Amino acid sequence: MMGSRGTSVVLSRAARMRQKLQSALEASALDIEDVSYQHAGHAAVKDNANETHFNIKVISPKFEGQSLVKRHRMVYDLLTDELNSGLHAISIVAKTPTESGS
Amino acid sequence: MAAAAPSATALAGAALPLPLSARPQPARFSVALPRTAPPPPALRLRSVRRLAAAEGPPAGMKETLDKVVSAHKVVLFMKGTKDFPQCGFSHTVVQILRSLDVPFETLDVLANDALRQGLKDYSSWPTFPQLYIDGEFFGGCDITLEAYKSGELQETLEKAMCS
Repeated sequence: MMGSRGTSVVLSRAARMRQKLQSALEASALDIEDVSYQHAGHAAVKDNANETHFNIKVISPKFEGQSLVKRHRMVYDLLTDELNSGLHAISIVAKTPTESGS
Repeated sequence: MAAAAPSATALAGAALPLPLSARPQPARFSVALPRTAPPPPALRLRSVRRLAAAEGPPAGMKETLDKVVSAHKVVLFMKGTKDFPQCGFSHTVVQILRSLDVPFETLDVLANDALRQGLKDYSSWPTFPQLYIDGEFFGGCDITLEAYKSGELQETLEKAMCS
């Protein structure tokens, strides 16, 4: 939970995730949708249903030549701190600019 | 890190009835149940016992998991059981595998914390479900669903079944 996140007090998890993904992946598009409400009351999030589940759509040139598993691992690796501090699950769509047709 | 749970507790956990609130609608399973062969308990019990005894040295855990993932062609590490998934993502993957009529084994990571923590490192994957085909990590829910839609999952499974 401790770390170098000096701004974590004021930033929402969604905003922190956006910063981390945007800068590391040089994303040309990044959608982060909080869907925690869909999972409120499920076994693992009894107490705190805030910012636990997200849908993430990210388009990044860094995914070029990477398998889906690797792309998802890249996203997970960037969000390790969040996963260790209450982020429970993310649904990931990870495409390259070419694949997204943009 | 969570300390390894006492083995008695971990084993009891595997057999505990689920909390009522977490049970899926019975209707959802009334069709699926009859066509499902009863899961052979051997893998589940043996591996849970071994893992509970492992008490977390990463080396032992890796060897154990090597055996677990290759003991069957298709192994799904999930939250809950085939018949009572405890999480929507795990439920989705179970439904996909059922629809493809492939035999698969499941292990409930909620019943064993050492297994749950160990797998995150072993797979370099922080969430569940985790699907293994032919001893290889295939993906989580998103990847499995996408591969199902594209036909890649069916292809991979066919290859695995023939190998």
